[in-house]
Order: sequence, then C-alpha cells, then structure tokens
Amino acid sequence: MRVLVVEDDKDLNRQLVTALSEAGYAVDTASDGEEGYFLGDTEPYDVIILDLGLPKMDGLSVLEQWRRSDRKTPVIILTARNRWSDVVAGMDAGADGYLGKPFHMEELLARVRAQVRRASGHAKSEIECGPLRLDTKSARVTCNGQQIKLTSHEYRLLAYMMHHNGRVVSRTELVEHLYEQDFDRDSNTIEVFIGRLRKKIPIDVIQTVRGLGYRLSEEAEQG
Amino acid sequence: MRFNSLAFRLFITAAAWTLLVLPLAGVVIFGLHRSDVLSTFDNRLQRIVNEITVDSMGQPEKGAVVPNNTYESLFEVTQSGWYWQIKPLDEADGRMLVSPSLATAALPLPVANGIVPDASGARWMTARGPRGEPLRLVEVIDTLGHEPDQPRYSIVVAGPLDWSERQISEFRTRLTIALALAGIGLLAVTLFQVRFGLLPLRQIELGLANIRAGAATRLEGELPVEIEPLQTELNALIRSNQEIVDRARTHVGNLAHALKTPLTVVTNEVRGEKTGLGAKVAEQAQIMKDSVQHYLERAQIAARTGVIGRVTPVAAVVGPVVRTLERIHEDRYVSIAVECPADARFQGERQDLEEMLGNLLDNACKWARHTVTLSVEVRPATERGRKRRLAITVADDGPGLTEEQRARIGKRGLRLDETKPGSGLGLSIVIELAQSYQGSCALAASPKGGLAVHLDLPAA
Repeated sequence: MRVLVVEDDKDLNRQLVTALSEAGYAVDTASDGEEGYFLGDTEPYDVIILDLGLPKMDGLSVLEQWRRSDRKTPVIILTARNRWSDVVAGMDAGADGYLGKPFHMEELLARVRAQVRRASGHAKSEIECGPLRLDTKSARVTCNGQQIKLTSHEYRLLAYMMHHNGRVVSRTELVEHLYEQDFDRDSNTIEVFIGRLRKKIPIDVIQTVRGLGYRLSEEAEQG
Repeated sequence: MRFNSLAFRLFITAAAWTLLVLPLAGVVIFGLHRSDVLSTFDNRLQRIVNEITVDSMGQPEKGAVVPNNTYESLFEVTQSGWYWQIKPLDEADGRMLVSPSLATAALPLPVANGIVPDASGARWMTARGPRGEPLRLVEVIDTLGHEPDQPRYSIVVAGPLDWSERQISEFRTRLTIALALAGIGLLAVTLFQVRFGLLPLRQIELGLANIRAGAATRLEGELPVEIEPLQTELNALIRSNQEIVDRARTHVGNLAHALKTPLTVVTNEVRGEKTGLGAKVAEQAQIMKDSVQHYLERAQIAARTGVIGRVTPVAAVVGPVVRTLERIHEDRYVSIAVECPADARFQGERQDLEEMLGNLLDNACKWARHTVTLSVEVRPATERGRKRRLAITVADDGPGLTEEQRARIGKRGLRLDETKPGSGLGLSIVIELAQSYQGSCALAASPKGGLAVHLDLPAA
C-alpha cells in the first residue's frame, strides 16, 4: 500500500512517515500544496493524507483540483480548524475522512486502514482468502490459524494482493503500490518476493497469470 | 400612537395649544361682535330719536307734532317692538304723542328712573315693552324749537332687544361651528404633520428591523440631513462590528491552527513513554490539548453571539452536515432520517448551527444501531411580542443513557465512554451555544430506546 503525506510541519511530517512506514506502508511526502498536488496527480496512491493549511496552495484547493481531474484516491484531511463548518467544507470538496488536530497516531492509522479497506471493497478489518487471513489492525497474516512470519516487504506484497483478491494484479501495479517514488522500478524484486512468499504459504495460493500478473486463489487447499 | 413617543409629544402639545387658543379666540371674537351689533343698534336708535326730535320739535307755534317720516315701518305695526313716544315733561296733563305700534301703552321715562345722560345728552336704558319683551330705550330731552324758554319734552325711541340678541346668538352658533371645524382641521393637519415629519424615523425603525431580521446589512434609504449622520454612524458601527467579529474569528482560527499542530507533534513524540520526562510531557500535553479545545471553541462562540442580524436557513445547513456525516460514518451503515420544513430559519450564525447539529448528529451516529432521526419544527410564539422558536430533536436508536448519566453528561470534557473517539466536548459546546442564543439543550430518552436531544433555538 502506498501512501502520500502532504504536511508542511516538518516534525509532524516525519512522525507520520515513521508511523506509516512501521505499519507497513510505502510513504511519499510533500511539504507544500503544489508538490503535493503534483504527486497526487501523477502517482497511483492508495491513500493520501492531506493537511489543509499548506503553503503555496491550500489543502482544499489541492483536493478540489484532484477531484476535478477525476483522481479518486481516498483522501483523509488533517485540520486544526476542526469546527463542523470546516469539516463540511472539506468533505464537500471531496475528502473521504477527516481528522482534527491534535490527534493520536493510532487514530490516524485506523482511518488509513479503513480507507484502504473501503476503497478495495472490504467491510471488515479482517480479510480472508482461502486459508489465509489478514488482520489489518495488527498487520498479521495467519494461514489456517498459524501465524506466518513475514518481512515488511513480504507483508506489503501479500496485504496488497489480499486487499485486491479476486482479480489479476500486474507486476507494474505491484511496483507502483508497494514502493516509494524513488524506488528503482526496473529491478526484479517483485519476482523475488513472490518466490519467497510461495515458500511460506501453500504454494498454489499465488497463481501466475502468464503475461498479465498474479492472482490469489480462493480455492487453494486448506492445509 | 404610543404614550411615550415623539409623535405623541408633538401631537399633544400642538393639540393642547389648539384647544386653548381656539375657545379664547371664540370668546374674544364673540365679545367684539356683540358690542359691534349692540352699538350699531344703539346708533340706529339714536339716529331715529334725533330725527324724530328735529321733526316734532321744529315748529314751536304748533307745539309737538307727530313726525311726518316713519323711519321704521314697524312703528306702524301694533306691539312690533319698535315704539316712539313724545311726552311733555313740564305740563303734568300735556298731550302725549305715541307711535301707532304703542297703542294705548306707554314707555317708561329714563329721566324719571334717574338715568344720567351721556355726552350727547341721550339717556339709555332697557325695559319691558307692552308684551313684556325686552326693549332698548333712548331718550332725548328737548324743548320746542330748541328754544331754552319753551316747554321740555321727553322723546323716547325703543327698539326690540331680542332682535339683536337673536342676531348675536345666531352668530355665536355659527362662530362655534366654524371654530370647531377649524379645530378639527388643525388637529388633523397636526396629526399629518407629525406623521409626515417623523416618517424618516419610521424608516429607520423598519431598516433596523430588517437588519435584525437579516434582510439587510446596512441602513438603507435617503434620510433627512438632521438624521443622516445617525445613519452614517450606525452603518459604520455595524460594519466595524462585523469586521471586529471576523478578525477575532480569523485570529482564533489561526491560533487554533498554530497551537494544534505542535501539540499533535508533542503528543505523538512521547507516545508510549511510561516513565519520567516523557510521561510528564504526555500528561501536560493532554492538559494543553483540552484547554486549547475548550477555550478556543468558546472564544469563537463569544466572537459571534453579539452579531446582529444573521439569519440561517436550517435546511441549507442540515443538507451538507447530514451528507458529511453519512460519509464519515459510512462503515457503520447508519441512516439519517431528516424532517425539516423548507421555511425554517435560525436567528443566528450559520457556523453555530452547523456546530450544534454536527456535534449532535455525530454523537447520534456513533451510538445508533440503524437510524438517527433529525426533526426540525417551527413553533409559533407563545406570548405576544416573543419570537417564534425552533424545536430541533436529534434521536438515535442506540443504547441510550440512564437518567443519572444524562444528568452528569454535558459537564466539561466528560466522556461516558472512552472507547468511542471524540474529544468529549461535543455536547457541552452544544449546550453553551444554545444558551448563548437564549435557547436550551435538554437530554431525554428517545422512544426508540436511545438518546434524544432537544434543542430550543430562536427562529427567524
């Protein structure tokens, strides 16, 4: 999952990046409205966290422009002016959620998880796929009740595929959604991680669709 | 016209003056006219008596003769009220000449009644005639041929007083009617003058009512020079009031922004620290966070309640707030049923209504099982002179609160359940906002089992 953080306060920006990275997200950041708008307009993020009080271009305008050019990425707005009038204005501009400052990081992470889930059409915080079960709250994957130990990159890959189970996920899509902007996109790491994952879970869960990408199979054997 | 009003003062002084002056003028005019009528009458009598004297006394050799000219045809009509009489004074049995009208009667002699003559030698008195009618008598005493050694005669001419009295009383009636009409006319003109003169003040009154009702933002219209400065100053005052409010609101908003971001950083920086400095900072940051929230929210209320003339259509606020909450609580599958008449208008700031409805509906959405209902009702004024009220009820079908919980909630920062997100200030800010609008916020049990919050606010 790839997240964009647009926040001009350096410390808060750093804290957001740390917390989101620890929770298994690939994080890009922008510290002003123009940069934020550009990134959100060109990169395929899963969630965008947008502060409303930004230099160069304010958050509401950034959000309105994204929506006008049909960018449907879920956006959570951060606002210090958390009166209802501001909240209403933010939601009307196209936000999907809001968080009033000051907030606890756990609250933010919960909102991000909810938005990711909502965008991929899952109602519950636990996602099941055949023998696999992903608990988005604790970032843990179990297979037939047994916890699987995953590295951060392996988790990101599997979590993304589980959020989008039932459809074919291309290699490009995986690269775009799992790594930060400055990642070297020509490497073969996706294949490497798929290979590692296949050793940790039943081998036929991740199926290769020739020429298109990968798909999770619901019909994999239970055990 | 109210008792304590400029119009009443102006009218009552003008009316008092009119009511005082007109009767006085009446009395004076009547007096003048009366004396004029009487003196004209006297002049006529005097002329007649003089001519009769000349006619009848002119020939000493014939003695007193009947005057050949009648001067007044009524001397010929019996008991007409017009009489003359020539009576010798020195011969006790001398022949007395009388007008045919007097027949066998006789007129009293002023000289015999001790009346003193005036400068022209005439004696005046009033007496009763043969019919008992009031008469004005004038008597001249002369001698035959005006010779001093000739016998003296008393020549008396009488005219009916009731004739002139009738004339006078007729005049009095006409005068009274004319003056009464003039009085009524004057009062009507005064009334018009007062109304017309004070029209600009009425215009100001309407203008202020419009401002208060939110239909206008300044005092409009062209006013007379005397009160134009008032209009200018008032408009400047309204504008500066609005500017001060806006500035205060901006500053409060900026302060909130400036404080809340660092607070977020501090809070998250020491997250999870259980010992020493970290724990202390976390604890103090929480206190700061609560204070910032509490006082800044209230500063914004205070910044807005003094504003005159803001009117907010309720439906225009309900729509966006409900839409927003439905999106925020999308995962909870709660539906919000709204019942709001299109003409319901709140006498106050849009932001305040948004804040109250937002907080109440947000709370209700957090606790509701399936549905939240919002109903808005416009209640007619209960007493004369009072405004209409808005009755807003937000109810949910959640677990609700016990009576004891309902009594405790609303105190500052109190949260009954720490597991639900929110600052816990929501309800208390709603209560304070409602109170600042002379309204109220009451908690009750909803018929569907949950909590029902009743808001009472001024309608416009």
